[in-house]
Amino acid sequence: MTTQNTDSPALALRGVSKSFRTPDGQQVGVHPTDLDVAPGEIHGIIGFSGAGKSTLLRLANLLERPDAGQVVVHGQDLMTLSPADLRTARQRIGMIFQHFNLLHNRTVADNVAFPLRIAGADEARINERVKTCLEFVGLSEKAGVYPAQLSGGQKQRVAIARALAPEPHVLLADEPTSALDPRTTQSLLEVLADVNRRLGVTILLVSHEMGVIRRLCHRVSVMEGGSIVERLTIANGRIPPDSQLAQWLREYGDAEGDAEEAAAEPAPQHLLSEAAHG
Amino acid sequence: MADETLAPVPTILDTFIELLPEIGKAAGETGLMMLICLTAAVIVGGALGILVFLTSPGQVLGRYRRFNLVANGFINVFRSFPFIILLVAVSPFTRHIVGTSIGPLAASVPLSLAAIFYFARIIEQTLRDVPRGVIEAAEAMGASPLQIVTQVLLVEARSGLILAVTITAVSFLSYSAVAGVVGGGGIGDLAIRYGYYRFQTDVMLITIVLLVVLVQGIQFFGQWLARRVDKR
Ligand SMILES: Nc1ncnc2c1ncn2[C@@H]1O[C@H](COP(=O)(O)OP(=O)(O)O)[C@@H](O)[C@H]1O
Ligand SMILES: [Mg+2]
Repeated sequence: MTTQNTDSPALALRGVSKSFRTPDGQQVGVHPTDLDVAPGEIHGIIGFSGAGKSTLLRLANLLERPDAGQVVVHGQDLMTLSPADLRTARQRIGMIFQHFNLLHNRTVADNVAFPLRIAGADEARINERVKTCLEFVGLSEKAGVYPAQLSGGQKQRVAIARALAPEPHVLLADEPTSALDPRTTQSLLEVLADVNRRLGVTILLVSHEMGVIRRLCHRVSVMEGGSIVERLTIANGRIPPDSQLAQWLREYGDAEGDAEEAAAEPAPQHLLSEAAHG
Repeated sequence: MADETLAPVPTILDTFIELLPEIGKAAGETGLMMLICLTAAVIVGGALGILVFLTSPGQVLGRYRRFNLVANGFINVFRSFPFIILLVAVSPFTRHIVGTSIGPLAASVPLSLAAIFYFARIIEQTLRDVPRGVIEAAEAMGASPLQIVTQVLLVEARSGLILAVTITAVSFLSYSAVAGVVGGGGIGDLAIRYGYYRFQTDVMLITIVLLVVLVQGIQFFGQWLARRVDKR
């Protein structure tokens, strides 16, 4: 059942649920939920704060262990793996975060090398991957610099290079642009689009920013109260106008303040091909 | 007429030169006590502090809750003993492992015990400065708990760790003087024997200056090194 074929999803959450024990009782993070992400897809998860987006994303690499259900990545059920095998599986699942989470006492190059060192790769391969990945995100000249000397956009590029270093099939992104200004966000989205298009990496991306979803995602799952309440296909950045999501946009607007246009107008074609420097 | 050829009153410098062999011996004893107790603190206390940190709620090994509770309890109990009482309380144990309860080696036993738990607590608190997100990123990349310790925690917290050693060294330099009371020897013991019991204020002054210089030196070097390795 779990052998990989071309039709099987790159990532599948089957009936996963998660609640947390807190001082004031059980707190539901995610109700039993299914999610399939196709190979090569960019799948968005959108919703208000506290909807359970991050929890759902963190279930995908078992940073949170689900209370029930299956997490299948590359045809492998992560729940059945030993701790050591899970660590090996995680090496092929990249992850980036809102606050970058770089190692501050390591240079850019050493940050990118980190996942490879952990995996025990040899120095020749490490050097080659570091070079390739820093080139990909346009930061080759920053290899010897410490993260403190970089802008937010540059830090996120380093985080992307780090995630790409072990050649992952899947990239998990939790609010990757939410700490960045609109222009930097724009150029970062181009990098992510490139990761998907040029490297064929499947991306599962959480954001509360409509612009991010419209410009990047092929499909989107809308979350509310720990459940996926709507699943939409985004064609050319267009949100189906009769959807719950379009309704919310009319009601609450967009992070960029163009709610009306967001729901009606198609966004610019997928994305520019050359990554601008952030 | 009084005799004009009275011997001159010895200056503090004369006292210093005269006492030099004793000061040298005392400094050696202090050095030995510090070396033993700091080594024990860094190795045993460091490991204990790291384990308590890793097993605290929400951390990588947070599921070992019972270990965390027990280890925390141990640290608190040992840290609540006034040092002089610990010194006396462990003396049977000291005699058992060193063969005597006097001298710098014997004093090193209670010093090490106190330093281990003192350092463990400081290390545990220092590691809290490493953002959870950074540790989590390493977990997501497939790092093992040991790799998280050696490649993330010890690297990201290194300047705090250096300051932790510095503050422990300064504290236990002063504790080692207390150990002198029960025959531990060392600079503090010298100050007490000459300065306190024999009212030789100049000897007391010399040893105090020596201790001040030592503390300043340790503090200055520790801070300099901590700043140097901090790239945050
Ligand atoms: N570690 C945790 N402990 C307790 N409650 C949590 C934890 N993580 C998430 N939650 C709760 O689960 C719900 C969903 O949180 P989250 O997935 O972070 O939402 P989102 O990312 O959509 O803002 C929230 O009510 C939150 O308080
Ligand atoms: Mg979130």
